[in-house]
Amino acid sequence: MTAADGLHAGRRVTPFSIESVDPARIKTVAAILQDPTPMHLDPAANRARGMGGALSTQGALNMTWFVETAVRFAGGVDRLVSFKVRFLANVFAGERFECTGTITAIDGDAARAELELVATADGRPVLGGTAVIKTG
Amino acid sequence: MSDYAHLAGHRFPGGTYTLAPWLSWLWSDACKLEPDWGTAHQGLAYLVALRGAGVSIQDIFDLMDATADSGVVFGEFQVDYHGVLRPGATYKCEAEVVDVERKSGRRAGVFDKFTFQVKVREQGSEDVTVVCTNSWIFPRAEGE
Repeated sequence: MTAADGLHAGRRVTPFSIESVDPARIKTVAAILQDPTPMHLDPAANRARGMGGALSTQGALNMTWFVETAVRFAGGVDRLVSFKVRFLANVFAGERFECTGTITAIDGDAARAELELVATADGRPVLGGTAVIKTG
Repeated sequence: MSDYAHLAGHRFPGGTYTLAPWLSWLWSDACKLEPDWGTAHQGLAYLVALRGAGVSIQDIFDLMDATADSGVVFGEFQVDYHGVLRPGATYKCEAEVVDVERKSGRRAGVFDKFTFQVKVREQGSEDVTVVCTNSWIFPRAEGE
């Protein structure tokens, strides 16, 4: 990616979205992670905690989508230098997840760009953070 | 001050973890991405770090006297990449607790912020592939 690709501070990062978070995928992720947390497995557990009846996604799943946004924008897995993400709120099955952001800084000498990213679930902020990608 | 502040410096057993190609593929598929037998998603750094550190989610719960019903959630997660994760590669991991800090917030109430760091190297290499720094939030009742 270079300035010839329209790379400049303020440029929007191409959004990444999941139209409707699938509860079956949340359960698969729970099995992969061996995560015993009931909120990822049993809707009744979330109802009991006053969080509605939908399964909640894992932080690792949300983070993977956050990373995917940066990787796609950067042009490949080998072009991601770092990321830092804060988990602001739960994401629930059935919600629309979207992550986007902007380029906040370009370091031409180091061939790096910093992105500020924010993810929402049905418009509600759920993740926030930054990523550094290679530009050269 | 957290009752768990003494855990700072605690070293997990560490160990090795082989990122199985089937698991790498299934992770991307489960996340509704584009699975590739030859490329691991960089989001798998979390799984490699946790498994290679020789600690399970339950182990961390036990260390912090929490259960699966305690409402534990991720706080922040940072990964610094010095290389690319490879399906089929075996990684050597070293992990330690960085800090446990008692905090309180208007919305969150009282909680412990538990931060640990894992350094991941491909077996046989001295070079670090990724460094993962992760904080978890453990809700606490007032006076707990």
